Parts: sequence; structure tokens; C-alpha cells
Amino acid sequence: MESENIVVSLRGLSRSYREGEQTRVVLDHLDLDIARGECVALLGRSGSGKSTLLNLISGIDLPTAGTIRVDGVELTALNERERTLFRRRHVGFVYQFFNLIPTLTVEENLLLPLELNRRDKGAARRTAIALLEEIGLGDRRTAFPDQLSGGEQQRVAIARALVHDPLLVLADEPTGNLDADTGRHVLALLDRLTRQAGKTLIVVTHSKAVAGLADQVLTLANGHIAAQAREVAW
Amino acid sequence: MRALVRRASWRHLWRHPWQMVLAILGVALGVAVAVAVDLANTSAERAFRLSMANLAGEATHQIIGGATGVDERLYTRLRIDAGLRASAPVVEAYGKSGDETLHVLGVDIFAEQSIRGHLNGISEVALQRLLSHPNTVLMADLTARRLGLAPGGRFTLRLGGRRTEVELTGVLATSARTAAALDGLVTTDIATAQELAGVVGRLSWIDLVLPEGEQGKDLRRRVERLLPPEVTLVAAAARTEAMTQMTRAFHINLTAMSLLALLVGVFLIYNTMTFAVLQRRGLIGTLRVLGVTRAEIFRVVLGEAVLIGVVGTVLGIVIGIVLGQGLVRLVTRTIDDLYFALTVGSLLLTPAPLIKGSLMGLAATLLAALAPAMEAATTVPRTALTRSELERRVRSLAPRLALLGALLALGALVILLLPTRDLVTGFVSLFMLILGMTLIAPAVVAGVTHLLAPVAGRLFGIQARLAIRGIAASLSRTGVAIAALMLAVSTTVGVGVMVSSFRSTVAVWLDATLRADIYISAPSLRSSRTASQLDPQIVQHVRAVPGIEAIASGRSVTVESGHGLTEVFALERPPGRGPRYLLRAGDPAAVWRAFGANEAVLVSEPYAYRHGIGIGDRVRLRTDDGERTFPVAGVYYDYESGPGVVLMNRELYERHYRDRAIGALGLYLRPDAAMDEVMAALRAALGGGQEVLIRSNREIRQASLEIFDRTFTITNVLRLLSILVAFIGILSALMALQLERAKELAILRATGFTPAQVTGLVTVQTGFMGLVAGVLAVPVGLVMSLILIHVINRRAFGWSMQTLVPADVLIQAVLLALLAALIAGLYPGWRMARTRPAAALREE
Repeated sequence: MESENIVVSLRGLSRSYREGEQTRVVLDHLDLDIARGECVALLGRSGSGKSTLLNLISGIDLPTAGTIRVDGVELTALNERERTLFRRRHVGFVYQFFNLIPTLTVEENLLLPLELNRRDKGAARRTAIALLEEIGLGDRRTAFPDQLSGGEQQRVAIARALVHDPLLVLADEPTGNLDADTGRHVLALLDRLTRQAGKTLIVVTHSKAVAGLADQVLTLANGHIAAQAREVAW
Repeated sequence: MRALVRRASWRHLWRHPWQMVLAILGVALGVAVAVAVDLANTSAERAFRLSMANLAGEATHQIIGGATGVDERLYTRLRIDAGLRASAPVVEAYGKSGDETLHVLGVDIFAEQSIRGHLNGISEVALQRLLSHPNTVLMADLTARRLGLAPGGRFTLRLGGRRTEVELTGVLATSARTAAALDGLVTTDIATAQELAGVVGRLSWIDLVLPEGEQGKDLRRRVERLLPPEVTLVAAAARTEAMTQMTRAFHINLTAMSLLALLVGVFLIYNTMTFAVLQRRGLIGTLRVLGVTRAEIFRVVLGEAVLIGVVGTVLGIVIGIVLGQGLVRLVTRTIDDLYFALTVGSLLLTPAPLIKGSLMGLAATLLAALAPAMEAATTVPRTALTRSELERRVRSLAPRLALLGALLALGALVILLLPTRDLVTGFVSLFMLILGMTLIAPAVVAGVTHLLAPVAGRLFGIQARLAIRGIAASLSRTGVAIAALMLAVSTTVGVGVMVSSFRSTVAVWLDATLRADIYISAPSLRSSRTASQLDPQIVQHVRAVPGIEAIASGRSVTVESGHGLTEVFALERPPGRGPRYLLRAGDPAAVWRAFGANEAVLVSEPYAYRHGIGIGDRVRLRTDDGERTFPVAGVYYDYESGPGVVLMNRELYERHYRDRAIGALGLYLRPDAAMDEVMAALRAALGGGQEVLIRSNREIRQASLEIFDRTFTITNVLRLLSILVAFIGILSALMALQLERAKELAILRATGFTPAQVTGLVTVQTGFMGLVAGVLAVPVGLVMSLILIHVINRRAFGWSMQTLVPADVLIQAVLLALLAALIAGLYPGWRMARTRPAAALREE
């Protein structure tokens, strides 16, 4: 893989937690490169460190050892505020439980990342409305999240993750809380929007359907990448 | 700050209006009590200062007399012999019309112009009538309106037991500036005032305007040469200051009580803000994931606190003004009872208490919100942070808080041991101790629940175990709620024990002091004192009544001394009888021998404490023969007078003062005399003359205890308000707690708990919290009472008292905490029982 095309680079990455007297190693000297525009699926049992890896890549958490470079920036060298500002600008998140802001309308949820990034108000509004139209929720702009179905909420969450044009989209079991049919639709939307915009997508999943869309499938076990498959056909 | 972040956060508050309303109410009540007390204090003090300033007018100095004031002939000599034109005589007295206290001021209208300007607007006709007709008066327009009087109207003025029908000849127009000074003031001609007060030929004082510089000094020397030994020349401002200082301790006490209410309010705000943060940890976590910085989150939470603080403070100021109206009457009455007659017509709205209240409200809110805001800012930017992890953090913090609390309490004890008489230092240590104890509370709660959960489980089953474990599991909420309730209830214990101790000490003291069977006195504004005079013929009439074996007499006067104005009580004891003053210092036999032999005086405990006087010291008093010093033979307990008293044998008094008046009589009956018959005979003999109070020993004892209870009305009002704030606090905490546990309770419902069982669970939990708070409040309250009794009251008033711990105060406190918690738990319990489990379980 050519180095200028690498967006995420992990070297000797370790993360362990103290649990009483014991130390639990979640990630153990992990090395990984992810290319620009690539879709990576992370598989593994519960507790294998998938979500931890996402938190480390987004700068939410810090490793016990090793380095994390995202778009050439060494996250491990940044302080908390710098990591927050980096995440604000370059990362979009999609969660299993949507995590929309319940006290903001659908449109305001989309405007929030744009406002945080100090985008022009008029342009931000146009971007948000256009994206809502694209995901088929143009008529639900003023609704609050609790007035939407699970599938609709996840579509809004995907739109929010992409609205500020991030470098990297991180998704943690995006279809885990949806029925199979809705899950398929949401997945298709996520795939279409990220690939269309050339974004790098890292998705944690248990679903074969999700993994099927990935360019690279990684399985985490015992703190290591146990299996790596490129363009696997499931 | 980002508008959407702020909007997301504030909409959360709007969606939980009860939570916001309770927080606002907590701030409002805290601020209201502080503002009300401050306004009442300021009004009383300002009214006093303004009336003193108005009374003094342009006067730079005053000539004040001994026991019976100044001979009016001195005034003539000053004007003629010394050529002092800028001088004016004054006769001052306090009377009543209905329930209204009136400050009667007799002036020389011609001399007034050089001193006071308040008669300037009065018509010539009214002034003429004032001079030419007896029993005519002027008063401020607002006082006349309150009494329903118009010029030409007549009303009955009661003064020193005399009732006189007087005519209002004109009204003094008041402005906002002069209202406080003139309200309650009745101005009349000097001759009328002398008649009304029964002091013909005497003046209360003479006002002088002495110019500055050499000319003034020269004039002063000329004036002083003319002064007889019984009078003295004093600076007008010094007198006002001395009287203001007298009530200082009383005002400090009130302020401290009001701050306690605010402190409880701070707990309430802390509770609400903590809950608001905990409840939104998911939302805050998501915002952090989206790139909202810690500083931004911190500002959002503090912004909410400011909103709550501003609304609560504004509301608190409005409530405080309303509350202040009632409080100012209580404050005035207490000052009347303990210190001096004071007329405060209405609450004076000055900006200082309002600004202070606003700043305190906002500062308290921000202080209380600081920890929750920091908690919010450090929220890990993900939603996986579990509640149990948070609670684990709080539990690990509890021992450290307890250690800090113990250090604070220790610091308080060290401060208490410092050799100082400073009252503020006393309150600082009291507050440190209270704060220390509240910090220890969460650790104690954790320990107690840990020990009791298995026992409760064995005794009452899984429900009880669940309820008690729930308290420890939500220590971040329950710990604070219990601490706030404990704080309020311990105040009840502390103040309750202090009042009971004080009351029993006073009762014992009254039993010892009140030895006569019947007391006769002229009505006086300060109901316990004998400053009024009895007509001389009354004494003769009394002596003629059969059945009386011996008579004691008392006369109370105020004289200038080396320690400012001092009350001297002249006591005439019949041989072998008379009041038995309990001695704090001195050998009784030696003390009473010296007293009876006119060799020495006694001083009351507050006087001795205030001025650092002990046995063998001397007190300097201005007498009719000039300044004289008297050795002090003993210090006696006295709970009547705030500033203190010098007790003098009547014979000694008459040696130094030409006053022969008597203020009150104590009658000792023959063993065979029937009390009712003697009382009836006295009433018959004394009817028709001066109005006098004839009271049996039992009645006067009761009246004295009523005054005592009245003095503590204000304390009780403030105590109740603190409990109200704490009640709101625990209601808020319980509602928050139960709401947060909605899912857990829904699971219980899903597994077969009936709505009644859920209500039972919530009730057991809230009841247990109340019980823990109540039980913890007892030792904390007892320590508070010891400080109140032996430090605060001693430093404030110089009174020492026996400690009495009545069991009912302690039982009531525990029951109060239990009841408050149970009542506060009713609504959350009812609400939780009605929650549909399916809906609660579906909520993410």
C-alpha cells in the first residue's frame, strides 16, 4: 500500500485496562494500515476490542502503548482539546443506538457538526436540507428523534456523520438495533454515501451482510488481528 | 458558545420542568430568607439611624442628664448666660395608640429652626394651635393615615400608664427620603410633652450646635462651666453609634440564621445540577464524540446554573421583600423587648440588601454548579460509561470527602479554642463544623447501608434489601439528599436544644429572682422593665392595703457611664426579703453584705462580659454629683436586658441621685393573707388614677416567659424556612432518583412486582433515607447546640446558661426527618407505580 494513500496507520498499538488487581489486555501490539476511501469491517467476539479500536482511532481514548496516525497526524501526541478538535473536523460517528441529540430536531442534529466547524449558516442549512432530501427525510426536518422510527433515526445518524465532510466515518454496529429489512436499507445508504463521497469507513459489525460490503475484513481475537481478508466474498 | 449545543442542553431543562422549578424554588427560598433578614435588619437600623439623625438634626452635641434628665432651667441659662442661640430643648417619650408605638417628641417651636427642619412645612395656624392649646400634636402623614386620623381628629395616647385624649392639629408631609425618619413620630410643644410624660420641669436633653475650630472650643468651655454635675455634654454622633453597637450581636445572629437557609439552598442547587448532568451523560457523551470540547460543555452547564440562579434570585428577592414585611415587625419587637423602643413603620427597600442578595444567590448557584459542571466536562466522549462506574467513583470519593469533613470539623474546634470573643469567628467555626459534618455524611450512609442491607433482607425480605442497597448504589444522589436533610434537621436540634436550655435557665432564674407575691408597675414599652414611674400617691395607697407584710421597690434609669449609656436598677429590699439574685461570681454573704451596706454595686452577667468587669473592678457612673466610681461586689445572672444592668441599693442610689421616683413595687403578703383578696383590694385602691399593672408572681413569671418565647419567634421562623428548603431538596433528589431508576423498577414490574410493591419499595427507601438523616442529625445538632449555647450566645449577649437536652426535641427531629422524607417520597412512589413497564423498558 502506498504510504501517501494511507489514512489510518497503527503501530505497536496496545490498550489494557485495570480490573481490580488484574490487568486485561484488550489490544496487544497491533499494526494496521487503512487506505483512503477504503471500507474496513471489524469482526470479533464481544469484548474483543472492536469498539476500543474505534475509540482509539477517533482520539476518544488513548492507547497504553504504540502510535496512531490519522491523515499524517499523530493523535497520540495531541492533547485532549486538540484531539477533540481533530475529531470535530475529521471524524463522523454512527452508533448502534443512533445517539441523536434528543433535544434537537432532525435538521438541528445535522446542523450541529457544521456549526461546530464554523460553517456559514446559510450554506450549512442548504447542505443539511440537501442531505436530508437525499436520505428521504426531507419532510421530517422539524421532527424530534423520538418521533422517528429506528430506521429513520439511523438514516439521520448516518447523515450527521457525513454532513461535515469528514475524512473518516466510524460505525459501531450500525444495523445492530434494526430489523433485517431496515438494516439492509440503512447499510445500502451508508455504503452509497461513503463510497460516493470517497470516505474511509471503518465499521464494527457482527453482520455478514455488512462485512460483505467491505474491502478489507479484520477479525480481532485475543488483542490481535486473527484473520485478515481482502475483498472477501461471504 | 455554539448555539445548537446550548439549545440541546436547555431544551433538556424545559422537558423536565419540575426539576427546574424545584431548583429555582431552592435558590429563591434561600435568597428570600437572606434578603428578608437583611432588609428587616437594615430597615430597623436605618429607621433607628434616620430617626436619630432627624432627632439630632443639625445638633453637634447634646447635654444629657442623669437619672431624671435635665432641669429645664439650664436651657434658659444656656441661652441667656452663654448666649447660645443654636440650642433646643427636647422631651422624649414612647407611647401607644392602639397597637401602634409612637415616638413622642416635645420641642420648643421657636428654637427648632436652628436644629431640626421637619416643622418647616407646617402651617402657621397649626403651629399656633400647638402652642396655644394643650394636648395638641403633629404627626407624619403616613402615620396619621395608618391611624385613620385627619387634622382636627382626636385619639387616645397611652404613656406611662396615663391615657390622654390628644388632638392632631396638622400633618408633616413626608417624602421617600424622610418617611423612615418621621414615621411614628409625634411632635408636640415641650410643655404638652412634659405633661403627657409626667416630667414637668425636666428635659430629656438639650441639643446644641457648636461650630468647629477655636470658636467652637471656646463656646464649649463656656457651656461646660455652666453645667451642673449631674449633666454632661456629649457628641451627638457618639450616642447614636453606642446605641447601634448594642444591637449589633442581635443583627449578626439573624444574618447567620439566614445564611444557613442559603447554605441548605446551595445543597439543593448542587443536587439538581448534579442530576441534570448525570441524566444527560449520554447526551454529553455524544456531544463530546461530535467534537464539543470540555470547556464548551463546562460553559453550557454553568450557563444553565446562571439561568436558574438569575430566575431563582429574582423570585427570591420578590419573596424576600414580602417576607421582610413580617420579619421587620418581629425584629422591631425583639429590639423593643431587649434593647430600646424603636418605631419602624414599614420595610425600607434599600438597594444594598437586594444587591447583596442577588450576588449571594448567583454566587451560591455557581458554587453549587461548579462540581457538576466539572463532572460534565470530564465526561468520557462515548456513551458506554455506565452508571455503576460513576457510582463507583462517587463511592471511592466518599472516604476522601469524609477525611476533608473531619479536617474541617477539627479546624472548627481549633478556632473555637482560640482566646477571642469575636462573634463572627464563632459563626465561622459553626459553619465549618456544619460543612464538615455534611461532608462526612455520604461515607456514613455508605457504611450504614452496607451493614444494614443483609439484616433488612433477612428481616423484611428482598424488597427491603433492594431498597437499602439502592441507597448505596446511588450514593451520588442519596448522599447529598441525606446530607441536606441532616443539615436542616440538625439545625432544628441545635436551635431547639439551645432554646430549651435557655428557657429552662430563664425559668430557674425567674423562680429565684421573683420572690414577691404581687408586682405593681406602670405599663412600659419594654414590658419587662420598670423605666416608667408610679405616681407617688400609689405607694401610699398600697401601704394602706391590709395583708401586706413588706414592700420592695425598683427604679430603672439610664445614665451616662464610662461604658456609654448604662441602665442602673435601684433596688430597695425590705429586711430579710427581696429578690434573690443568683450570683455568677462572688460569695453571696459577702456580696449582699457589701450591697446592703452601700459599699458596692452588682453588675449583671452581660454587662460584666461586655465590658470585661469582674469583682473588685469599679464602674464609673455619672451621678447628680458628677462622675462617681463604684466598686463591684458581685456579678449576677440576668436575662432581661441585652446591654446589661448595674444593680444599686436604693439608699446608695438616693445618695447620688435626687430622683425619688419608683418604677415598680414588689409586695410580700402576710402568711395569713389571701392573694385574691389583696389583689381585689389593690385594684379598688388604685382604680381611677394612673393605669397600673397589678400582677401576681405567677402572672409576671408567665409574662416574662412569653417575652422570652417572643424573642425566639424569629429564630423559629428562620428554622422552619431552612427545613422547607431542605424538604424541597429531598423531594427533588428523590424524584430525580426514582425517575432515573425507572428502568430498574420497570424490570421489577415485568418480573412480577405489583404497583403497590413498587410504591412500597420507594417508600421504604425514602423512609430509610429520612431515618438515617434524622439519626445523623441528632449528634450533629447536639454539637451545634453546645456551640450555640457556650460560644455564640455567650459572645453575642454575654449570657451563660445550663445545657438541657430534652428528649422530645431529639425524637421530634428524627420524626421530622422521617416524615419529610416519606412525604417527599409520595409523589415519586405514586408516579413510579403508574409507569407502564413496557414504555420504560423500551426507552433506551
